[in-house]
Amino acid sequence: MNRFVILLLTAVAALLVAMLPILLGPYYIRVLQTFFFFAGLGVAWNILGGYAGYWSFGHTVSIGIGAFTAAWLGLIFGAGSGPWSMILPVIAGALLSGLFALVIAYPLLRLRGTYFAIAMLGVSQVVAELVNNVSIFQGGIGVFLPSPVPSGMPVERFYYYIFAVVLSLLLLISWWVKRSRFGYALLAIREDEDTAMMLGVPTERYKMAAFVLSAVMVGLLGAIYGYSLGYFTTYSVFRLDWSLNMIVFCLIGGIGTLMGPVIGAALILFLTQVLLGGFLDLHLMITGALVVAVILVMPGGILRTRWRLPGRMPAREGAE
Amino acid sequence: MTLFLQTTLNGLMLGGIYALAAVGFSLIFGVIGIVNLTHGVFVIAGAYLALLFYTELGLDPLLSMLPVGALLFAVGWIYQRTIIDWAISRASVEASLVVTFGMAMILRNLLQLWFGPDVQTITPFYSFFSVSVGPFRVDMVRLVALGSSMVLLLGLTLLLARTHFGRAMRAVAQQPLAAALSGLNVKRIHAMTFGVSAALAGASGAIIGIVQPFSAASEVAWTLNAFMVVVLGGVGSPAGALVGGLLLGLINSYTAQYFGPALTQAAMFLVLVLMLLLRPTGLLGNPYGESR
Repeated sequence: MNRFVILLLTAVAALLVAMLPILLGPYYIRVLQTFFFFAGLGVAWNILGGYAGYWSFGHTVSIGIGAFTAAWLGLIFGAGSGPWSMILPVIAGALLSGLFALVIAYPLLRLRGTYFAIAMLGVSQVVAELVNNVSIFQGGIGVFLPSPVPSGMPVERFYYYIFAVVLSLLLLISWWVKRSRFGYALLAIREDEDTAMMLGVPTERYKMAAFVLSAVMVGLLGAIYGYSLGYFTTYSVFRLDWSLNMIVFCLIGGIGTLMGPVIGAALILFLTQVLLGGFLDLHLMITGALVVAVILVMPGGILRTRWRLPGRMPAREGAE
Repeated sequence: MTLFLQTTLNGLMLGGIYALAAVGFSLIFGVIGIVNLTHGVFVIAGAYLALLFYTELGLDPLLSMLPVGALLFAVGWIYQRTIIDWAISRASVEASLVVTFGMAMILRNLLQLWFGPDVQTITPFYSFFSVSVGPFRVDMVRLVALGSSMVLLLGLTLLLARTHFGRAMRAVAQQPLAAALSGLNVKRIHAMTFGVSAALAGASGAIIGIVQPFSAASEVAWTLNAFMVVVLGGVGSPAGALVGGLLLGLINSYTAQYFGPALTQAAMFLVLVLMLLLRPTGLLGNPYGESR
């Protein structure tokens, strides 16, 4: 595809996203809003897990830190209202989540593979329990955030647009990372960290940067998600299943590809929210079956599989 | 002082059960190099089967360890021969982490649909007895559970050290290629390892059923416990599992006693992370590790 077609497609997609709320009912706007949120989480996880090959099983810790930071700021400084009042808390949430990542990065990034994955799971578990049980954090009783929705605008539409803009921003960052020197260094780390280090790639610094960037992105989403909830307790933001959802989205769409997490999130949400919305007790099984099937049938995910249509040349491997 | 000793005693009791529940996980991790996230499901499935045997046939949970173990041996064997083998040959060992995670979700959901989401317990006649030694009190069930755990762990140690099959298993763990060249059927050994692991998980499930309440959702906790035991003690050996299990039990009971039961998970993970940083091979190390 040449540049013009891509630009045209992007413009059409942007127009479509902007117009959709006028056409759809509130339920589907909410589903789409969740889709943008989840896709954003996948894109953020992908920076560390997909590009650098460091699979984190505890990325929800950043959602929690982002959301709670926003709420604590409101508690301390008094909360304003209106859409502009959420800017500062949201940025603070993203930054604090990045700062936390920076602190734990040095010890944790010395671990590799499964050990890193499980250590992150441990970190998310510990932070969640601390927020829940140490009373100054207020996680057990829950915290409030004032609604920033301008009067006269439906709530779901407001967050729909915010999450759409944030997702585009994250995709832009991910795209930039992927084709920058930084991104190539991350790919080198994923393929063979020791060789990369030997060839002069400052692996330690780049890994840390990817970790912090990923945490900032998730923290940003988390803080906005906190606003969209209004009132939340520890376990409505520190959710173990979301840590795994992020991985599943990337895995299904294609780990390390730009649009893979978005496609994966779309597929899972379509399956669970739209097609099987009535079978709540089967969601776990469907997600699990999908994961197993994807690994066994197309280990690279949707975007990395060679699709053969009759009468067409096979697509290039890793085309995105 | 009495309180401290009683807490220690409780921790060691709990630790014995952790060790048994984790040893199968440790075996697979050491021999095949796979982190089997389905392990907790095997444990809970064992507990449910023991419950079924107890309510339908009146079979004591300790006796039902045999049929439960046999059933889960078959399940583990078939599981390795199909899904795990496909995943390794088509994708990678890392992908097997995700496949076992996906399977755990499916199986947990199946258990939930089958047995319902309620928390269950098995209560045989000796549930309400306790033994007093001096100032200390020990629940009868916990004592029985600890005893059976020790017997099974000892059995596994003998199996690994003394039998032909055990030697074959260690050979496959150290040098899969060389073992195959010497005429060992590596695929068969892998399947057997999974079978033994699942059987031990099932047997531990039968014991856990009489000691603690369980539900399909507690599967995750048992998988994580197994991982922690392995990280603390070392991969692949019953002795490592025992050391790790006892340590985990002690951490759990000290935290619950002195800092509050809400913080046990956090304390366990904190020690886990510290251990990963200071001595990632565990206290006893990996007996097969050097050659990999």
